[in-house]
Amino acid sequence: MSTPTSNYTPRRANWLATSNSGVEENLDLDPELLDESGYGFEEIEEIHWDDAPFTHSAPVVEPVDQNKVSVVVDYASKIYRVRSGNEHFKSKKRIRKQVQRVLGSGWAEIPALEEVSFVVNRGETVGVIGTNGSGKSTLMKLLTGKVRPTTGEVYATSTPIMLGVNAALVKEISGRENIKLGCLAMGLSPKQAAEKYDMIVELSGLDEDALNMPLKAYSSGMAARLQFAIATSVDPDILLIDEALNTGDAQFRARTKKRLDQVRSQAGCVFLVSHSLGTIKQMCTRVIWIEQGRMLADGDPEWVCAQYEEYTDHKSNGRMRSAQIVYDRTLLKLAPVQVEFSEGTRPTRAG
Amino acid sequence: MAAPAAERHDGFQLGTQRVVQMDGRRLVRVGARPTFFQYIRDLWRFRHFLWYDSQSRVSSQNNLDSMGRVWMVVNPLLQAAIYLTLFGIILETSRGVVNFIGYLIIGVLTFRFITGAVTSASNSIAGNQRVVQSFNFPRAALPISAAVRELFATVPVFVVMAILVLVIGDFHIPGAISTDVSLSWHWLLFFPVIALALMVMTGLGLILARMVNAHNDVKHLVSIGTRIWFYTSAVIFSVDRFAEAGADWVTPIMHHNPAFCVLDIIRDAWLYDGWGEPYRWIVLAAWGVGAMLFGLWFFWRGEETYGRER
Repeated sequence: MSTPTSNYTPRRANWLATSNSGVEENLDLDPELLDESGYGFEEIEEIHWDDAPFTHSAPVVEPVDQNKVSVVVDYASKIYRVRSGNEHFKSKKRIRKQVQRVLGSGWAEIPALEEVSFVVNRGETVGVIGTNGSGKSTLMKLLTGKVRPTTGEVYATSTPIMLGVNAALVKEISGRENIKLGCLAMGLSPKQAAEKYDMIVELSGLDEDALNMPLKAYSSGMAARLQFAIATSVDPDILLIDEALNTGDAQFRARTKKRLDQVRSQAGCVFLVSHSLGTIKQMCTRVIWIEQGRMLADGDPEWVCAQYEEYTDHKSNGRMRSAQIVYDRTLLKLAPVQVEFSEGTRPTRAG
Repeated sequence: MAAPAAERHDGFQLGTQRVVQMDGRRLVRVGARPTFFQYIRDLWRFRHFLWYDSQSRVSSQNNLDSMGRVWMVVNPLLQAAIYLTLFGIILETSRGVVNFIGYLIIGVLTFRFITGAVTSASNSIAGNQRVVQSFNFPRAALPISAAVRELFATVPVFVVMAILVLVIGDFHIPGAISTDVSLSWHWLLFFPVIALALMVMTGLGLILARMVNAHNDVKHLVSIGTRIWFYTSAVIFSVDRFAEAGADWVTPIMHHNPAFCVLDIIRDAWLYDGWGEPYRWIVLAAWGVGAMLFGLWFFWRGEETYGRER
């Protein structure tokens, strides 16, 4: 069936077609033209929609005491670029696609974290929560300075130290040698390392036999315990704890908790990444929720954890719409921070 | 995972936009590269780590093999035997070389150390990402430790090399000249030469480590490059062979090749009871100091790029 031809032309098109005829010209709705004819449009206030939507109120300026600041994250984001052999599937250009297919090489870009900014003061314990793959670990890596943010920077009074079960150990050498190597890699002198040795062994709960075996003979639990024990042998000022509380059996956990409390009490400022909301609520004075690479909330632990619980509950029961509502509702209440340094004091030197 | 920038939509926000103003003088940038001198000082602070790392890894290098550390000696010896058969006897590169067997043994075994040090140092950053990401130490410690580790691993080889040169170094091959090889104080020149060689290797290793970390492809070029270097360092035949083949221009280049200088001084001291030509010493010392300084500087410039995901 062919479309019936009609001589109807849309009205707007008609306007254009006839705009050079005399009568319509006077009805042109450009206020400036109308002004000349004295319609009084000059009194109307102009609004630039791009600059300030109605929902944004004027920013609140908060000066911060420089002696209290511990960590400043200024507009930091991270996009990982990883070598991938399957990139040609996504490539749109035909020739480039073929070249990538033949070479079997390409870059995959993984946006892991959108721009976040926040300021943490001394004495605060900050919990970081979020579902798997939301960008928590990326934020931790940015904080420790092992990975450079794609945009923005991270500033701190001293380099934050990460405690966790991810400390690298050498598989081929014995537990005893690993303890020494790990201590030296953290910058301790051989004397200090020898002093820490007993404490590490006690914390890890490994016996003499196990210490003399190469690490590849260890069970994963034993290796994790040793890693954790080595990592906690330093007393950093800014401390990051990543899921460390959940490893090991009840006995190890009790020892861990004791040591962590000790380290925490000495540290000036603590970040705690955990999936256990109980721990977070118990220990933290402030919680940051990161979801889908975006900072959703930053504030009171009770409130943020409640939102998070509701969100994960909806998600796990397949109620995506409800989950999205919680997401948007939480984001609505976020008061984003913008960091400004007073003239010429933006830090550049290394710690 | 965050949404790609293009698909992102701004959520509505009722919360006020806050601007935090502060004085940043007490803060430092996390992960920033220190100044060069601070970097050297940091490296010195981590010298124990460097030392212990190379030591412990050497001792565990061969523990997958049932013959264990014996391979550290057997492997290079077999290699020397192959070159001896192939080049010395079949291709007769031994012509015009005094004490050819000693010449070859010193060449092959020492050059193995040189390539080994450069190769393992150049892979030390790219191959140790887990260590790089979990500890904060000056990254230059890894290539340096890799080169030092190679030296530790080669110590037994050097001992065997000395014994072999002493025992069969002056073995008479038909058609070649041989003079008596005997132990003398000149043999001690080996130690300063190897120290200078280690400096050259570490410097080159630092440069290559940054390049391999930035582009993994460089790794392939390194293996080709060391092979070319092998044939242009008079390892298995003498420099004169190039001149005989009509390529006179190679000789001056060879005389400025650090690997050739190392081999030439050791051979002069061990086989011919000499002090090594002064010019070789000058060239080698210049290479050692120059490569080390430039390597450290070059590596330091890339300090912030080493921890990234790849």
